Amino acid sequence: MHASQFVASPVTRRIDVRGLCKTFQLAGTAIEAVRDVSFSVRRGEFVALLGPSGSGKSTVLNMIATLVKPTSGQILIDGTPVVPGQATPNVGYVFQRDTLFPWRTVADNIGYGLQLAGVPVAERKERIDACLMQAGLQDFGNAYPSALSGGMRQRAALMRTLVVEPQVLLMDEPFGALDTHTKIDMHDVLLRIWEREQQTVLFVTHDLGEALTLADRIILFSARPGRIKESFEVDFARPRNAVKIRETPRYAELFQLIWHSLGEEFIKGRSP
Amino acid sequence: MRRARRPGRTLAWQVLICLCILSIWQWGYDLHDRLPWLVPDLLDPYFISKPSDIFEHFLILSCLKSKLGVFNGWFNGEFGRCMARSENNLWIATAVTLKNTFFGFVTGVSSGFAAGLLLGRSDRLSAIFQPFITAVNSIPRIALAPIIVLAFGIGDTSKIVTSWIVVVFLVFFNTFEGARSIDEGFVNAARLLGASEWQITRTVVVPSTMAWVFASLTPAISFALIGVIVGEFIGAERGIGRLIIESEARAEASGMMVAVIVLMLVGVALSALIWRLQAYLLRWQQHNLAE
Ligand SMILES: Nc1ncnc2c1ncn2[C@@H]1O[C@H](COP(=O)(O)OP(=O)(O)OP(=O)(O)O)[C@@H](O)[C@H]1O
Ligand SMILES: [Mg+2]
Repeated sequence: MHASQFVASPVTRRIDVRGLCKTFQLAGTAIEAVRDVSFSVRRGEFVALLGPSGSGKSTVLNMIATLVKPTSGQILIDGTPVVPGQATPNVGYVFQRDTLFPWRTVADNIGYGLQLAGVPVAERKERIDACLMQAGLQDFGNAYPSALSGGMRQRAALMRTLVVEPQVLLMDEPFGALDTHTKIDMHDVLLRIWEREQQTVLFVTHDLGEALTLADRIILFSARPGRIKESFEVDFARPRNAVKIRETPRYAELFQLIWHSLGEEFIKGRSP
Repeated sequence: MRRARRPGRTLAWQVLICLCILSIWQWGYDLHDRLPWLVPDLLDPYFISKPSDIFEHFLILSCLKSKLGVFNGWFNGEFGRCMARSENNLWIATAVTLKNTFFGFVTGVSSGFAAGLLLGRSDRLSAIFQPFITAVNSIPRIALAPIIVLAFGIGDTSKIVTSWIVVVFLVFFNTFEGARSIDEGFVNAARLLGASEWQITRTVVVPSTMAWVFASLTPAISFALIGVIVGEFIGAERGIGRLIIESEARAEASGMMVAVIVLMLVGVALSALIWRLQAYLLRWQQHNLAE
């Protein structure tokens, strides 16, 4: 279970990242955020990017999502290079921060992508209702986001991304701002959806428990500049139960193993 | 807003204050001879008229009464004859001023809004136009009114242009700031959901700047009115501003006061209209406060 022994054929590789580097220019000084990151994600695989704060996880995800232009390196999705600044079709993104449009009701937020795509109103409504149901937000379709709790907002944001049925899901600490219990609830919601839709997921987090609960594989980032330190297979059976999985001995074992490695990076990240 | 639970009391106070002001205005100067140290000269009805005179004058200017103080009959045609005779009676003046204010406001708001969005979303354009905008904005716009009247004549066009020029910058700067301060998170979210540049403008940029735009609309409507009135002062055949100038020429304080009060009412009505529109379009903001 060690770094980069995993080899996938080009056909099954959905996300392919090669030699990715990013250096930010900030007020004259260069900040090297990401250094030579290469990995790939198979079709239908759930991969977690784990690392301490500031290790460049979001930067990597944003480069894949075309929001940030790489300094060097290559990003392929389904074998096609992504174009910075131009959304890649079939790729959905869930933000670290709440970005629901405050001027749209929850239903209109969820239906936004469908509206852009020109889906007829009747079909749109049907799909929005299905999403509201799935997110347990049936009664809040006509509410504005400001009337929702943090957990509800995050579910709505998730549905806004999922309603257009992306095959690749990029998620940047989508549950970072939630309390532990709400978070575990959300893990179950996400696991159910993923088991059904089998999207390819790249999930950024600094919460090891979250990574273990959700992912097939964990890619561990080192402290800044972000590099891949190690990668771990997470071999729990599917379907998983977000609560029960935490009580198994295997969970404790993996937690121990990765925790140690992660801890070293946290300490490195803290020292100047 | 802690004491807002007693609207009856608030209203009572407001009525009381109104009555006080009106009474002092009406009868205050009668005390001038006896108590000269208490009553300022400015209270002289020669300068500021008094409520009863103003009301009387209102009836005359609006053709409800003849100049002799007799009520104009509707059925005997007196009212109609008066309307036809006086070019700039209160009704026509108000209509003309309102119409020009409306056009000045609408053209000013729409062009200011469009320019604000365009420059606010483009670093390139805003860098190019920055010095010009600062320069033109430094001119007190009202100072341009005589030039505008000279160029466009004493008809309605010059009033609309004056009104436009005072409104457009106000709305422009607010829209510009709004467009600058848009949360890029919303723009990115829209883009990643497949929005084109135009769709981003329509569904993200416009709604997020709305609050900023509305903040400028209440002052904009007063500015529009000011622009028209100043234009009418300088040269016009009809309008409330013209009415004020005519009364001033005759040293008739009551006539001016009628015009001023009509302007006040018009201003209040227009602001209320904007306020209603804002409450509807920005209803998503209300939810932060309510419940
Ligand atoms: N737009 C930017 N301009 C300059 N520096 C940036 C920018 N974005 C990120 N950085 C820098 O890059 C580094 C990595 O940031 P990044 O947001 O990718 O970290 P992260 O791993 O997602 O952290 P967290 O877990 O706290 O979200 C940080 O040191 C940050 O200061
Ligand atoms: Mg981050």
